[in-house]
Amino acid sequence: MSKLKTLSDALDGIEDGATVGLGGWIFNSQPMALVRELIRRKKRNLRLVPAPGSIAPDMLIGAGCVAETGCVFISFEQFGLAPHFRRAAETASIKIHELDGPAIAGGLRAAACDLPYGLIPDMCTDLPRVNPQTYQPVPRQPGERAMLKVPAIHLDVLLLHAQQADELGNVQYFGPVFFDVLMAQAAKKVIVSVDRIVSNETIRRDNHLTKLPSAFVHAVVEAPFGAHPTSSGGLYEADDTHLAAYVKASGSTESFATYLDTYVGGAAVHADYCKRIGNPRLPEQATR
Amino acid sequence: MTDTDCSMAELHAVLLARDLRNGEKAIVGTNSDVQVAACNLARASHAPTLWWVSGPGGMINCNEPVIRSTARTENIAWSEAMMDLPQMVDFIDWKLHFFDFAILGAIQIDRYGNINTVCVGPHDKPRLRGPGTVGISALTALARRFYVVMARHDRGSFPERVDFLNGPGFLDGGTSRTDRGLPEGGPKFVLSPLGVFDFEPVSKRMRVKSLNPGVALEQVHKQTGFELLVEETPPVTAMPTAEELKTLRASVDTTGVLRERRRA
Repeated sequence: MSKLKTLSDALDGIEDGATVGLGGWIFNSQPMALVRELIRRKKRNLRLVPAPGSIAPDMLIGAGCVAETGCVFISFEQFGLAPHFRRAAETASIKIHELDGPAIAGGLRAAACDLPYGLIPDMCTDLPRVNPQTYQPVPRQPGERAMLKVPAIHLDVLLLHAQQADELGNVQYFGPVFFDVLMAQAAKKVIVSVDRIVSNETIRRDNHLTKLPSAFVHAVVEAPFGAHPTSSGGLYEADDTHLAAYVKASGSTESFATYLDTYVGGAAVHADYCKRIGNPRLPEQATR
Repeated sequence: MTDTDCSMAELHAVLLARDLRNGEKAIVGTNSDVQVAACNLARASHAPTLWWVSGPGGMINCNEPVIRSTARTENIAWSEAMMDLPQMVDFIDWKLHFFDFAILGAIQIDRYGNINTVCVGPHDKPRLRGPGTVGISALTALARRFYVVMARHDRGSFPERVDFLNGPGFLDGGTSRTDRGLPEGGPKFVLSPLGVFDFEPVSKRMRVKSLNPGVALEQVHKQTGFELLVEETPPVTAMPTAEELKTLRASVDTTGVLRERRRA
């Protein structure tokens, strides 16, 4: 049965207040076409669980869609701090659940395995002080390592971007998978945008690239340049000019409203967005 | 300009590379130009079997003579292996002493080498919100040693105590790190624009190891938020030799990513 959906249909059923995972890593494979569609639909009070990210969580926060976010790492690297995340934190306008790598990995693994919590080493940080719900003490026997337990992280829905898939929902990655696969195992619903839909025959020819077999995937959406302005597994690199323009536009409420109007609200469907960024073309080859 | 003029980023890469040993294992984060350069410079000179992995991307021993973000897909073609993160988290976040070292940046570092990349001011309403912790807690806690590269050196970035401790150094000094159940380890050097700093072996307090050319000890004291230990007169930092810079520029950073930075 085909899992191929339109961008709009794929996001049906996401409620306000849902716990939404975001895949990719900093400027790589952020699920931007799906994020822009969430903003068009004016989703509110979302609880984000972003893998270490940049513009995906930042734009959702800036557009007013977010009540709470986990933060493992939200950064604009060479462009500075994440503008809307930073402002929301400094004005305490959203709730931030401070996390480190072990807590998100342990929590996702626990959810993937239907365990109530995971165990992580106690690194003697200040994280338990500001996030006692996540970092819980466990009794320590003599000679054992000091450990903490972290509750399972269950995602209502996970948004990902990858390079190609077939209609059945077999998703292929030409580059690193980052936390995408682990998050998919912890999610009730997994929605993946891909730069192109290919035949099942093409998928079978390079089956080592299928990192998300169809059983883990609920919907695939064809969205060429769907990770833009971040990169997509070697098909295209991050658009530094656009990222710099986003940071600049984020400097004031007015200029950010103009940005959203240009690239989100005023680009009613993904094809309009592609037009706004100059209709770039994907490379021809099927795989790397 | 002479053939030993270099940028601060090149100086830091060379100083780090000298301390890395053959056969050691390391991890490098996403936005890590100096770290990649240090590892590949060590591999190109005295440590050909140093082993390093891109933290998020899983590419191992990428030897392209161009400095890029370690998460980029182009690195795959230049690597010996490509590992998936769900497997790598076993040795990144749980295993003791798998990595010999990590090289990290920070917003703040304190007198015991604890680091902060989360926030300045109170966590619930910070004056400055940083990017967060990612692997820093695990690497500072579980690697055999770590290095810290500070982009700035002032009283705000070198406070008496970090505003948020998300990377354990020597905690409260002395034996407190191991007393609280962490494995042996902690920071070895701190590199700042002013010099190189290490930690006195018993008290674990930060001390001056060397001063960069033209930097006065008085200036360092004035720009540090705690009392730095000083033993005798600190030497001037041993700057990169012509040979080291030649290897760095011809075999590691051929497009001059580090060279373009501010001059040392």
